[in-house]
Amino acid sequence: MKPLQTMIAAFVAAATLASCSKSDSDVTPPTPDNPGNYILTVTPAASEAVADYLLTASNLDAGKISTAGNGIEQDGTYRYYVTHNNKFFSMLYGQGNPGAVTAYDIQDGKLNKLTNFQTETVQAFEPVNDDLLLFKISRSLTSPLSNWYKVNTNSLLITSEGSTNTLELTGNGELAHFSWLKQVGDKVYAPYFSIKGGNFATDYPDSAWIAVFNYADMSVEKVIKGDRTSFIGRYFRDGLALTENGDLYGFSAAVATDGAAFNSTKPSAVVKIDTEREEFDPSYFFNFEEASGGMNITEWLYLGNNTFMVLASTKEEKGAYATGKHVGIINVVDKSFKSVSGMPDAASIESLTYNNYTPKDGETAYLGVNLADGTTWVYKIDASTSTATRGLQVEGGRLTAIQYLP
Amino acid sequence: MQFKQILLYAVFSAYSLVTYAQNYGSVRGYVRTESGEPIPSVSLKVQGGSIGTMSNSSGFFTLQKLSPGRYMLHISGVGYPALEKEINIQAGKESELHITMREESIAMESATVIGRTVVQDRNRQAYNVTAVDAKQLYNTTLDLAGALDRVSGIRVRESGGVGSNFNLSLNGFSGNHVRYFIDGIPMDNFGTSFQINNIPINIAERIEVYKGVVPIWLGSDALGGAINIITGSKQRNYIDASYSYGSFNTHRSVINAALTSEKGLTFRLSAFQNYSDNDYKVKVDAADIYTGAYSPNTWVRRFHDTYHNETLISQVGVVDKPYADQLLLGITLGQNYKEIQTGARMVSVFGAWHRRGNIIMPTLKYKKTDLIKGLDVTLNANYNLGSERNIDTVNARYGWYGDSKPNGSNGERSRSLYKYKNNNGIANAMFNYRIGKKQAIALSNVFTTFNREGTDPLNPEVQENEEKKKSQKNVLGLAYNFDEEDQWSISVFGKHLLQNNHSGSRATTTNKLGYGVAGTYFLQPDLQLKASYERTNRLPEAQEIFGDVENQEGNPDLRPEQSNNINFGISYSFALNPNSKFMVNANAIYRHSDNFIYNRLNNNQSKLIADNREGVRTIGGDGEIRYSYKDWLSAGATITYQYLQNLQQYETGFTGVSPVYKDQMPNIPYLFGNSDVSVSLRLNLGYNLLYVHAFYLYWPSRGGDKLDIPQQLSHDLNLVYSIRNGRYNIGLEGRNIGNALLYDNFSLQKPGRAFYLNLRYFFNK
Repeated sequence: MKPLQTMIAAFVAAATLASCSKSDSDVTPPTPDNPGNYILTVTPAASEAVADYLLTASNLDAGKISTAGNGIEQDGTYRYYVTHNNKFFSMLYGQGNPGAVTAYDIQDGKLNKLTNFQTETVQAFEPVNDDLLLFKISRSLTSPLSNWYKVNTNSLLITSEGSTNTLELTGNGELAHFSWLKQVGDKVYAPYFSIKGGNFATDYPDSAWIAVFNYADMSVEKVIKGDRTSFIGRYFRDGLALTENGDLYGFSAAVATDGAAFNSTKPSAVVKIDTEREEFDPSYFFNFEEASGGMNITEWLYLGNNTFMVLASTKEEKGAYATGKHVGIINVVDKSFKSVSGMPDAASIESLTYNNYTPKDGETAYLGVNLADGTTWVYKIDASTSTATRGLQVEGGRLTAIQYLP
Repeated sequence: MQFKQILLYAVFSAYSLVTYAQNYGSVRGYVRTESGEPIPSVSLKVQGGSIGTMSNSSGFFTLQKLSPGRYMLHISGVGYPALEKEINIQAGKESELHITMREESIAMESATVIGRTVVQDRNRQAYNVTAVDAKQLYNTTLDLAGALDRVSGIRVRESGGVGSNFNLSLNGFSGNHVRYFIDGIPMDNFGTSFQINNIPINIAERIEVYKGVVPIWLGSDALGGAINIITGSKQRNYIDASYSYGSFNTHRSVINAALTSEKGLTFRLSAFQNYSDNDYKVKVDAADIYTGAYSPNTWVRRFHDTYHNETLISQVGVVDKPYADQLLLGITLGQNYKEIQTGARMVSVFGAWHRRGNIIMPTLKYKKTDLIKGLDVTLNANYNLGSERNIDTVNARYGWYGDSKPNGSNGERSRSLYKYKNNNGIANAMFNYRIGKKQAIALSNVFTTFNREGTDPLNPEVQENEEKKKSQKNVLGLAYNFDEEDQWSISVFGKHLLQNNHSGSRATTTNKLGYGVAGTYFLQPDLQLKASYERTNRLPEAQEIFGDVENQEGNPDLRPEQSNNINFGISYSFALNPNSKFMVNANAIYRHSDNFIYNRLNNNQSKLIADNREGVRTIGGDGEIRYSYKDWLSAGATITYQYLQNLQQYETGFTGVSPVYKDQMPNIPYLFGNSDVSVSLRLNLGYNLLYVHAFYLYWPSRGGDKLDIPQQLSHDLNLVYSIRNGRYNIGLEGRNIGNALLYDNFSLQKPGRAFYLNLRYFFNK
């Protein structure tokens, strides 16, 4: 064979092998975007190591959106989303590392990036006045300082910061770990669970505590303690809700553990907090476990008019970090529970989204439903009839949040 | 008289004292080139008889038990024209024979492209192997990683400057898919003080890069390929010292020396040191640590990235004894200090967190060819008694401007004084038995052990530190080779792999079988085809299971990877005229992996973690072309394309088809290449260009507004001036002279323009 021919033959062979691969890929073609004021966040189902995608939609009741060639890529997947002051915040949970936050607003139905800024990675964040209050909570007895940050949502800057000794707070030798934060007037109520360390075990599973902060200087004014339930809320979940008339309710998921097994003797229940006297209201108790036939609340969403959508899990499904797959409606005044019909059966549900949307009309919720068959839907929940209806389809992975910006 | 010759004479005199049975005579001697270089693996056969031998690595040979008389000795070796010599054997006497072989100048000439001369031999194996002649890079400041980055199919990804973490990918396989060996000994557990990113190129004589099938004599469970660093110095007495200084206050020195007595007593020493402030400028979004406001695209200097390591390898033993060609006892001592500037992403800035480590590793090396006729034995063992310490004690948050503020009480990332020993050791044994000239059977066994034990005085309550972290692995391999020299050869092999892991209270045992076949065929002497198939297994590494305590998170659930690999290669050498020579190499690969192991960011974007994909298919090719004109101009280019496709159809928890099924694997460079030109007159001038095509950080098919790693193009220049026949060398090197933004490993930035001055002294007797 002639030298040059051989050379050419070799390269052709290599090139052919290399190029034939391209035609082989038949990934989903890009889909058009769907401008609108609803923001849906999607994580590709492919294990982790993936980015979240922010999509918009004009209507949650019908239609289809997709991340194929569409959506704003978010760096990293442990992301949390909150809307406040007409802005949408995408926060990275980076453990000991600082976390980047990206703020967006909506213009002509499209997300418009306002700025990036840096905060610490936090375990609780909640709108307070014009701020976002962030709390980075210690889980080590040898380093018991937990830091808080106030981020102004107008200037998009950290305006003040400080720390709270969460070991001293409990006085029982364990650390206080705030499940979430809630503004009540000029105070911030921070329900917490007691932990021995990183495994979140406790020797005090049958008590509930709420630290009351004076928001102005973030000093702890008081700790409200109750013994009828285990702690209020759970890790990374908001367990307090204020109704229109200023009543404050809290739920207990009853998921305290000794590191290996659940160790609370108390039922999952709803309690009421007297914000005048800053005590649990001893006259109010709604035993959810009893009303629901043995389930526990894992998260709730206040729809208005004393009505909540709750996600719940059965005794068998119960987990300290599990989001329930059963949807119910409770009325905290009537102490009533109704199961929602029209949902896919729990076995076909891969997961439900916990960060959902309600227009606060007293009866409507939009709930993300990730089915095991790989399809994802927004379900419209009607509390007045306790029914669920399938709405918008979301293609491309798990729905992690549904938000709305005017 | 030359020292060497005196020495040889002395050696022979000593041997002659040994008396043989009076009926026989023997002959001893050595084979070398016209320039005095020893030639190993030269076949010496007594014509018309079955007696024969091969020269050893130092070119020495002996022929024993020859009946008295005159014989013709047939001498042949690859790359040298065969010779015949008459020998006269006298009873009870030992005669001497010094053979000088001319380097082939007729048929082989066209195959000899400069840049690859010494290593041609290796390239002619059935395996797909590229050998890099390290000696040509001695006057540069490259470390092994830098040298490997110039090989086709290889991409070394570093997370920063000197001493930074690295990840090497070979034909789409990365991380521990590719195993490293030093003189055939697995480097798996050498610790951070002795890795390819801190070992200078001068330690090596050549580097062999095996793509795809790895020969059984390298044992181990490499899946994508292997890199074998050959240090074995041919010179018995020499000193090679170099020092370089350059940008970012970088100092490197290397001393290699060997001293061998007349009686074969040898002492070998390698010492090297790297120091760098690594304070190069990076372009980042720098945050005001008080307000959180970012200043986008700000140029800042890295301020907490000092790295230094000092390593001493000393070996003492004997060479060229009847019972051993080489028996060396040694110890590797070293330490390193590394400041950690960022997490897995550049948004996480640290200002005090650092690591200290050391290596205290006794070593044993034994090698004997023809222990009994035809049987070569190699034994190696080492155990690393060194420890590492992760130090994060400053309760502060640092920003890119070097400023800091108090940040609670949990250190920068996670308060730690964790000190640990990995207690790792390796023992391997290799037997190669040649049956006649054409057949050989190889048996190898490699055992490695890892047992991390550590304590953290700052976190005595952290149970994770106390948990058992133990991993033991044994790989047994058997291979059969048939070699019809310069026509064709074939190798068939099988491997048994066993791994026992203990992670906390969990214990897992893995048993796997692998097998394969590799063959090569010479269409004509300078046109070679290679093909191989292998069913491989890749067991999780201790670092992947248990993490590295820094930016690699452990994954105790990591499963072993299995794959079917097919490689096909063609190489051709030719000359347009006696002065202009070409060499062309092209390879194609196909791989289908189950439980493909790859590194991804953890969910927090703070560390990397090894994980499995149920299925990944790789199709790729790489090509290389080299040209030389006379002996003063050499130019070459390589290009690699690899398409890794996700074939995991269902994600955990789902029954429907995954949205990224058949998508291209993200964050893996898939098109890259380099080219180089060098002119060597009295002054040596070299230029190297590196190109990496842009690639996506996350799944390519998802999202409209995406994050990517942009295209990278960097130019390196070097200039070497040698005097006194290479005894004194002065080198000047410019890296990334275009000051391009270079990224790696999840968008970590690498140094910009840098200059280094290198002084080297080489003396050989």
